[in-house]
Amino acid sequence: MKNILVILLLLVTYKSTNAQGAYDVARIQPDLLKNASVIIRMEDQNYEVKNPGSATLQYKTVITILNKNGEDASAIHEFYDKFSSIYNLKAILYDAKGIKIKEYRNADFKDRSAVSDGTIYDDSRIKYLEILNNTFPYTIEYSYSIDYSGIRSYPSWYPSSSWGYAIEKSEYTFKIPETMTFKYLKSKDLKTDSLKIKDKNQYKWSCQNIKAIEYEPLSVGLRNVLPWVMVAPNTFEFDESKGNIENWKNVGSWLYSLSSSSQLLPDAARAKVRSIIKNAATPKEKIKLLYNYLQSNTRYVGVQLGIGGYKPIAAEKVFSVNYGDCKALSNFMKAMLQEAGIKSDLVMIGNDMPSLNTKYASLNQANHMILCVPMEKDTTWLECTSQYVPAGFIGNGNSDKTVLLITDKGGKLAQTPTYSPANNFQKRVATVHLDAEGSAAITIETKYGNAQYEDNMGMLYMEPTEQRKRLINSLSIPNIQMESFSFTQPDKELPVLMEKISLKCTQLLTKGGDKLFLTLNMLNRQEGTITTIDNRKTFFAVDYSYQDDDEIIYTIPKGYKLEYVPADIILESEFGRYTAKAVVKDDKITYTRTKMMTNKKYPPEKYNEYVAFSKKIYQSDKQKTVLAKVE
Amino acid sequence: MKFIKLLTLSLFIGTTIASNAQEKELTPKTFKYGKVDLAEFNTKVSGTDSAASAVVLFDVGRGYFQLDPTSGSFNYILERHVRYKIYNKAGYDYANLELQFYNSNGSKTDLRGLEGATYNLEGGKIITSKLNKEAKFSEKQDKNYTLKKFALPNIKEGSIVEFKYKITSDFIFTLNPWYFQREIPTLYSKYDVLIPSYYLYKESAGGFLYINPKRTVENQNYMGSDGSFNLETTHYSYQAENVPGLKKESYITTIDDYLSKVDFELSSITIPGQVYRQFTSTWGKIAKELKTDENFGSFIKRNGSSKTIVKNLIQNATDPDTIIKKIFEHVKTSIKWNGSYNLYTSELTSKSIFDKKAGNSGDINLSLLVLLKEAGINALPVLVSTRDNGAHPGYPMLTKFNSIIVEAKIGERSILLDATNKSYSPNLISYQHMNHQGLKLDIDLELAEWISLETKNVSRKTINYMLTLDTDNKLSGKLYLTGTDFEGLTTRNKYISATDQNDFLKSFKSDKPGLQVSNYTIENVNNPYELLNETMDVVIEDNLEEAGNLVYFTPLLFDRTKENPFKSEERNFPVDFAYPSEEMYRISIDYPKGYQLDKIPKSEKYSLPEGAASFTFLVAQQDNKIALTSKITVNKSLFTPEEYHYLKELFKSVVRKQAEQLVFKKI
Repeated sequence: MKNILVILLLLVTYKSTNAQGAYDVARIQPDLLKNASVIIRMEDQNYEVKNPGSATLQYKTVITILNKNGEDASAIHEFYDKFSSIYNLKAILYDAKGIKIKEYRNADFKDRSAVSDGTIYDDSRIKYLEILNNTFPYTIEYSYSIDYSGIRSYPSWYPSSSWGYAIEKSEYTFKIPETMTFKYLKSKDLKTDSLKIKDKNQYKWSCQNIKAIEYEPLSVGLRNVLPWVMVAPNTFEFDESKGNIENWKNVGSWLYSLSSSSQLLPDAARAKVRSIIKNAATPKEKIKLLYNYLQSNTRYVGVQLGIGGYKPIAAEKVFSVNYGDCKALSNFMKAMLQEAGIKSDLVMIGNDMPSLNTKYASLNQANHMILCVPMEKDTTWLECTSQYVPAGFIGNGNSDKTVLLITDKGGKLAQTPTYSPANNFQKRVATVHLDAEGSAAITIETKYGNAQYEDNMGMLYMEPTEQRKRLINSLSIPNIQMESFSFTQPDKELPVLMEKISLKCTQLLTKGGDKLFLTLNMLNRQEGTITTIDNRKTFFAVDYSYQDDDEIIYTIPKGYKLEYVPADIILESEFGRYTAKAVVKDDKITYTRTKMMTNKKYPPEKYNEYVAFSKKIYQSDKQKTVLAKVE
Repeated sequence: MKFIKLLTLSLFIGTTIASNAQEKELTPKTFKYGKVDLAEFNTKVSGTDSAASAVVLFDVGRGYFQLDPTSGSFNYILERHVRYKIYNKAGYDYANLELQFYNSNGSKTDLRGLEGATYNLEGGKIITSKLNKEAKFSEKQDKNYTLKKFALPNIKEGSIVEFKYKITSDFIFTLNPWYFQREIPTLYSKYDVLIPSYYLYKESAGGFLYINPKRTVENQNYMGSDGSFNLETTHYSYQAENVPGLKKESYITTIDDYLSKVDFELSSITIPGQVYRQFTSTWGKIAKELKTDENFGSFIKRNGSSKTIVKNLIQNATDPDTIIKKIFEHVKTSIKWNGSYNLYTSELTSKSIFDKKAGNSGDINLSLLVLLKEAGINALPVLVSTRDNGAHPGYPMLTKFNSIIVEAKIGERSILLDATNKSYSPNLISYQHMNHQGLKLDIDLELAEWISLETKNVSRKTINYMLTLDTDNKLSGKLYLTGTDFEGLTTRNKYISATDQNDFLKSFKSDKPGLQVSNYTIENVNNPYELLNETMDVVIEDNLEEAGNLVYFTPLLFDRTKENPFKSEERNFPVDFAYPSEEMYRISIDYPKGYQLDKIPKSEKYSLPEGAASFTFLVAQQDNKIALTSKITVNKSLFTPEEYHYLKELFKSVVRKQAEQLVFKKI
């Protein structure tokens, strides 16, 4: 009897340890914990295409959150819309030992609309659940299913897309009827397992024991170091439209078919177009006039429903209400140009996204539409949602991209203009009259071009009180008494912003013993440095190429002499070029600084060289000249 | 952390702006929908608003009660008619209207009719474009809220736009607030509210404009199920004209405290033949109402499971401070704050909250209260309006409170408790809760009392460097940091949020170029009852510069206040630091034999009137050693706009003095 009891007890203990074991944090390999905030214990993404218009997804994941930094991972957000329904939502919270604390069912998930910023209406919704736990670590398991009744794209697989995520195991299984073709794109070295099961072809990608990567500044993304797969249909059905997107040519044909009947203009609009261009001599002039009309008469209102995500609202409609989204406004512009006898093409583009992959056609590589007016010599690109930028300026987010022209002959890949460092300029001339108390009368004139124009153009449309406030806060000059300032765009047809400031400052010189110190680079210092990274993993780049030219002419106070003037500096590297020099003549110091940076993508091993270059610039920008009283 | 950052973190709204209202009799104006005068296109605004993106030409609202034939009860109707002139593209947003509607348990707010139009002047003629059907959108945000959106056509610079709509509401406890003032200027605003004598409302006005309040009693006709009847009705009326736009300034949390507006909250119902019902006309009544509320008073009473918890927690402890500490720690670590503030709990018992392991501020602090009471501690809830929620008007108005904290009393000693963050300690409540005053409520005795939430504890930060300078211009030595109250909290939050110590140190070093840290230790990061202490060995490179035979650097190193946090020439709002603070920076340097101090910086001291704030800069030198101290003290939490100038000047001195270089001559 005694023995039996012992055995029973043993059984009970055995069972309970077994139950708590599965997601016990102690089971995580120690090397996966390094630099990690989140561990993906397992992820199983199972997508099955039924036919061109429907599919199902079964998804399950288990995530361990190690510290507060990883807390965001415990919020579950799943999107759906008219063409997809979510069901079987389940979540379980486990403690560090893997013991179940709490279970969540469908009804615990909240539901809300997920209309994106800047859009007035679309039909996307979200099911969400925020699981909170006060003690780290903890583990969350969750799963759901989705039925799709309209297809535009297939899910991608990015098992880890964030810094500080380690992965124990993640898997993507993709099934498709053997009668259907599709395409995929994957990270280097990722193995594809394919297998035929009855009348379906099955593909499987997986990864295991991927270590977390610590945050790396200026990174262009984790794609070159972590596994990923993108999968796309060749044919699909969505909202009563059938599409073939085997290649970019076909993507273009499909989009063309959606928009080709939308350019009819009512007579009033046609008459309007003719009257606008009646005195224009060249096509270029006509484009400008019509673009100006577009900018001053329409505004952006985003409405995207079903196929409306791809099909523009008819030009006629836009003419009657004078608003629309990027497609509607681009298409309206196209219709006006057509009336003026100028041919143009709608352009599918990924704004602030990577270029379209030339060999892999899919719809989810783009999020925007602009217009291209091809000309023999210089093609004009028009961003039709901006009410401000000059004709032909498409902004940093649209520049230097492979895009798709939607033509009557199908899709054609093209390249948008690239802005060079010299295009994205900042040119500044300042004068500073110093007096012996350290006060100064300062004038500053700065021109900003292209991307730098874009960064600063908000100032043009602000109320003066707001301009003043921003200006005072952004200038690195202490104790400002603002005298006057203005922001103008001297030539409406050029993306150049002119800023003129006049101010007094009571404290430009700093004291040190009986000397006065003056930081020569008064306005455009690189503050702070970055630190070196051993064994960096990801490529890096600056936001955009640019060139800053600063010239400051100082008049030094009477009764003072220059005791020290820093030597000239020239720094050159593949990342950019920097020069600084101070020339003294009579009571004037002319300080000139040039800084040119290129935004090429650099490999990780170059990062520490970049840090060294950046540190030298930081040092150079701090250089001071020393003034002393004439005895 | 620089002092400048501390300021940004710690500023919030204070009391109301001094009144500069002018009492001027206004004749009511009337407007007809669709009737736009040519002259309206020439509307200009002047002064600081001359470059406004749009102007409110008029905004007229009329609220009244109507018998709902189906429910037989009164509901509230608001009719609104608003017209804007749009000056430039930045004002295009006024052509989009968004209205949010609510429904819950069969009661709802609803839209009954909306018209909208755009008017453009073309060739001297007014062209009207009506809001069309396709431009109306309804977005079901979640199970309670629906957002309706309307986009007007043909918007250009210079357009006039107009909306007229009617909203019905089954919720009559509070009536829609009316704003006479906005970010853009308003030429004319009028609000009328007609309240049948069955209802008594408490009105509350905010802001500093004169809004011509009038109150008359009239007989109004109401339609009932058995025909119409007359009822004595109070007619409240308000008007304002030429109201300037009010823009947010930095260091305030909600502009709402300064905008001119009027609010109504129900205080009693007297319907003939029915029982007289009083709502929140006195603090006593508020206490009584909360006493029976499922998610407040009843929650506090349902203490079934707390007995065992408390017993296990306090064991044999008898000292009240120890008991409070044990219970406070238990609640802090067991329930995670979900980021929202609420006066009420989301569950009916504290057991459910402990099971859920997460909750709002009401869930957490009322659960704390339940346990404290169970342990025999004299504890009461303190109702608070958070900073973001704005100042409480001061008179009995329940709806303005949106959170609670707890006051425990040991003898005469009062301790404020807020368990929404693990790093809080007794008398260190969250920044949002530090909104000057709270209402202490004794629901059993039905008593209420305003208490001050101001703290006398100075949040103190000390930075202490003991360094040696070598001839390579490298500084090396020790760095000691301490922080109390909010200063300790900041570091604790940062440390706890980091992936690990390396990650924490990485961000610590990120704004300190040239600093290398080793042998880092931190004490009491998880113990908010004790002083937060950090020590480390440091090597500092690249901070000293050479100019000929001179070697110089800024002795404040990485803690220099580089910019004046108060840059604007003037200020309309008070500056509110929330709590007193002090930043003490000390550095001592042993410098090499071949170096000679050129001239030592002068010691200086600046003080605000009545010692409200001060800045001290002290330098001492002996042999080859220099020691320097910089101390910024802010002794009170609130500064008026008139005192702004002093603060600005004080920080001007801080910036100037802290920028001074220490200059060595090489001999």
